Amino acid sequence: MVFKYFSILLLVFFTVLVILPVYLMVKVSLSPPEDIMVQRPGFLIRNVTFRHWKDVFKSGRLWQPLKKSIIVATTTALLALLISIPGAYVISHLSRTLRYSMILSLFFTRMFPEVGIALPIAVNFIKWGLFDTNLGLTMAHLIRVLPVTAWILIGTYRTIPSDLEDAAQVDGCGRLGVLKHVVLPLALPGISVALIFSWLMSWDEFTYALYLCLREKTMPLQVYYYISRGDWFLTASYATIITIPVIFVTYILQKYLRSGYLAGAVKG
Amino acid sequence: MKKIFCPLFISLFLIAGYLSAWGAGRDQVITVTTALSEAEWKVMKEDIWPMFQRRYGIKVDAYTVEAADLGKVLKGMVKAGRVEIDVFCQDNMRLAELVDLGVVEDLSRYRGQIPENVLPALVEAGVFSNKLYFMPYRPNVQIVYYNPLKFEKYKLNPPKNWDELLEVAKRFHAQEGMGRILFKASGGAPTTAQLYEWIASAGGDPFSFNDKGCVATFEFLQELWSYCHPDSKKAKWDTTNEFIAKEVAYIGQNWPFGVPIIVKDWNKKWLKTYGGWEGPEKEVHIIGGEVVGIPKGSPNKRLALKYISFLHSKEVQEILMAKLAWPSIRDDASGKVEGWLVPHFESVTEALKHGIFRKNVSYWSEFDGLLNDAFTRIVIKGEKVKPVLDEYSRKMQETIGKYKKD
Amino acid sequence: MSFRKLKKSWLEILLITPLLIYILGFTLAPVIYAVYMSFQDKFTLHFPTLVNYKYIFTHFQFKEAFFNTCFVAGVGITLELTIGLLVALILYRNFKGRGIFRAIMLLPLGVPTVVAATNMRYIFDTSGYLNSFLLKLGVVEHAVDWAGGGIKTLMTIVVADMWKVTPLVMLILLAGLETIPEQLYEAARIDGAGAWKRFKHITLPLLKPAITMALVIRGIDIFRIFDLPLILVGRHTRVLSTYAYFEYYDYANPYTSSAGATILMVMILLTIIAYLKMTGTKEVQY
Repeated sequence: MVFKYFSILLLVFFTVLVILPVYLMVKVSLSPPEDIMVQRPGFLIRNVTFRHWKDVFKSGRLWQPLKKSIIVATTTALLALLISIPGAYVISHLSRTLRYSMILSLFFTRMFPEVGIALPIAVNFIKWGLFDTNLGLTMAHLIRVLPVTAWILIGTYRTIPSDLEDAAQVDGCGRLGVLKHVVLPLALPGISVALIFSWLMSWDEFTYALYLCLREKTMPLQVYYYISRGDWFLTASYATIITIPVIFVTYILQKYLRSGYLAGAVKG
Repeated sequence: MKKIFCPLFISLFLIAGYLSAWGAGRDQVITVTTALSEAEWKVMKEDIWPMFQRRYGIKVDAYTVEAADLGKVLKGMVKAGRVEIDVFCQDNMRLAELVDLGVVEDLSRYRGQIPENVLPALVEAGVFSNKLYFMPYRPNVQIVYYNPLKFEKYKLNPPKNWDELLEVAKRFHAQEGMGRILFKASGGAPTTAQLYEWIASAGGDPFSFNDKGCVATFEFLQELWSYCHPDSKKAKWDTTNEFIAKEVAYIGQNWPFGVPIIVKDWNKKWLKTYGGWEGPEKEVHIIGGEVVGIPKGSPNKRLALKYISFLHSKEVQEILMAKLAWPSIRDDASGKVEGWLVPHFESVTEALKHGIFRKNVSYWSEFDGLLNDAFTRIVIKGEKVKPVLDEYSRKMQETIGKYKKD
Repeated sequence: MSFRKLKKSWLEILLITPLLIYILGFTLAPVIYAVYMSFQDKFTLHFPTLVNYKYIFTHFQFKEAFFNTCFVAGVGITLELTIGLLVALILYRNFKGRGIFRAIMLLPLGVPTVVAATNMRYIFDTSGYLNSFLLKLGVVEHAVDWAGGGIKTLMTIVVADMWKVTPLVMLILLAGLETIPEQLYEAARIDGAGAWKRFKHITLPLLKPAITMALVIRGIDIFRIFDLPLILVGRHTRVLSTYAYFEYYDYANPYTSSAGATILMVMILLTIIAYLKMTGTKEVQY
């Protein structure tokens, strides 16, 4: 019993910690400057103003980044699946050592700081006309997203009993048929998790966008733009707006995760 | 299969039609990059660019490229042979970098289009090895922001020289148990600009690192540092506004763009400014601001030059002066500055009287790095002044030697 | 590989090609290019040279960045795993409102890092909410200078990073917990094993693959941590990523920047190899 109350107390404590920064952001975005621009700000919302929100909507810096972020994140997620669903399938069927080195090399690319990779990529993209385009940014985001989706999917495939595949093959299914009719339906939960993860990773991405966007910014870049101009209120309002869609996405994610679909990547 | 072809054709047809219509029915467009604050951006967007379009039928497609990014962006574009920028505005501190990268058009032939009333010193600032690469557009200078309420409270006067500054700093520290003056010590370009100014006003040559003026400046800063507000370590041009407005710090130098933000956006009507203080040798203020240039291989050079001319016109300069309190590049511009802005505009004019230009050298970024490192070690970490400065002086000479070899 | 074998596995090759091309072309190639640059002289473009490495090894900022990175990574990953596990264990139990708590706990996962960093600035500013809180409580007399350097500044980075990624760790561990068969616990309970014993002998060993996964994913990322320290503490407290960034951004030197990035990569590589050696590869299952 003591343990139970203790754990509930702990949970509430963590919940407060999780919500607090987000709450403060919303608070700043809704407060008049007099309440915020002081040495010792209070925690409660005293006066409410929608001025900063209106400013953001009027600034002409909202719809374009929003559109771009949504397009890029969605294309990235779909392309990541398109590439890694078949690729991960093959890797999951390789011999142990080969599989092992494949996975390591997937992650080798994630070991190099993105600031180091972004520069050569930016130069090449300019040459190919991909600079400052949605496609170019999508391709850069894939660099970041692919290893993770591939890994999640490899894990997912590994959980599917190979007997099932063998049986299907005996029944006269081609190899593609096995993938289509047996493996994919079973892997669907893992695939959706991979999809949501890659969407979130692209939505969040900052470094590549910094190097590859010029005319059209993504939402995180736009936030950084406001930060670097020292504008507290526009930053807060904008940051709140960019966080809202994400609340929905995480809500969906947690629904999907109810029965521990991620386990596919975890189990031996 | 046939089923697919029909809609495919139709949609291709539609796209092609749309594209051609789009190309024909439009105004001419030039692409301009700039880095402005929100308030400045608004004036450009609502007044300057529409006016240009009305007059010349050329639409300005503008977007933000930060000063530090411009070199990389242009280098990439020129290297790839796809220049998509027609006119860029750039911080006058980062010009040599662009010249060295070979990404800017030589504008010497068009020198004649600069109006006579533009101050000659500003034009000279765009000349590198006898070629005019950049044209003036907006001079800028740092002024002192301070909080008169706090100064009155402790019966202090705004400092007019280094000794008074130290005195004020000590008084605030003694009264409140915490430093209340701000030095932009965030590192990087803001710190370099401020150090350059201070060293010059102590009669030193910043590139020497260890002449009398440099040593004096660093020794003074080392002493002053213990009376500075700890947030000085985060102070750069954007955060300074915030610290002054929050009354975290009571006095500090910054570029004038912060005045409308603090007074108008944040409703801190008490803000006061003045030109600045003098160093042990003289009063000196670095002239910053932006110049305009054309990237090598710009597709619309003719239109770009027209735009630059437009920026130089008396009319535009007067609008910028009236709405943003930007000092003019012309000696005949007399915009009606809005009432509340007048005292701040006077501070800028006052500071500009002591304006000097920084030396534009190709080893600026190395200098920037070394100066910041020396500053961190001496002022923030409190190492001995002379040995450290000697070390960095040596390093600077080595670097200059390497550039000379090429 | 013989031609026949190649012919037999054409489908596999076809399926994996896009992934391979992507990894090789878009990631390995730039990495190799950057490593190459780190051995190049800025002025003469001579290759190979150790000039850049000599420069960074004698640079005081690099030494600090190196230490800071190790500290943030070490402390950060430990705390993230501990708290992640704690929360996962709580949320694993069935109770009313579990779904809501779970959804709330996942919230930071979706908040963009840039936004998270901004929010943390509201808290850790000298005139921020944490100081406001401490002053009200009377714990401190003057506002604490959180960005003042040393351990407390590093801890702000750790806390910010924890806020952002502990949910991910928790998620992975939760998924791992759910793979442990309930019968095992029941059997243990019948055998009279207490809660702690059950945790030590069933939960921990069976959770090992999940812990490893969390460690590898987080371990790599926390070494490369970039946006958070960039926005939160700026130039005076650097980690290796921001060191590399400032070498390039402030001092326009891609060569020393690449050298810093390469060192960081070697560090990560060594840590992972050491970890795999330590735990034994057998337990790492993919």
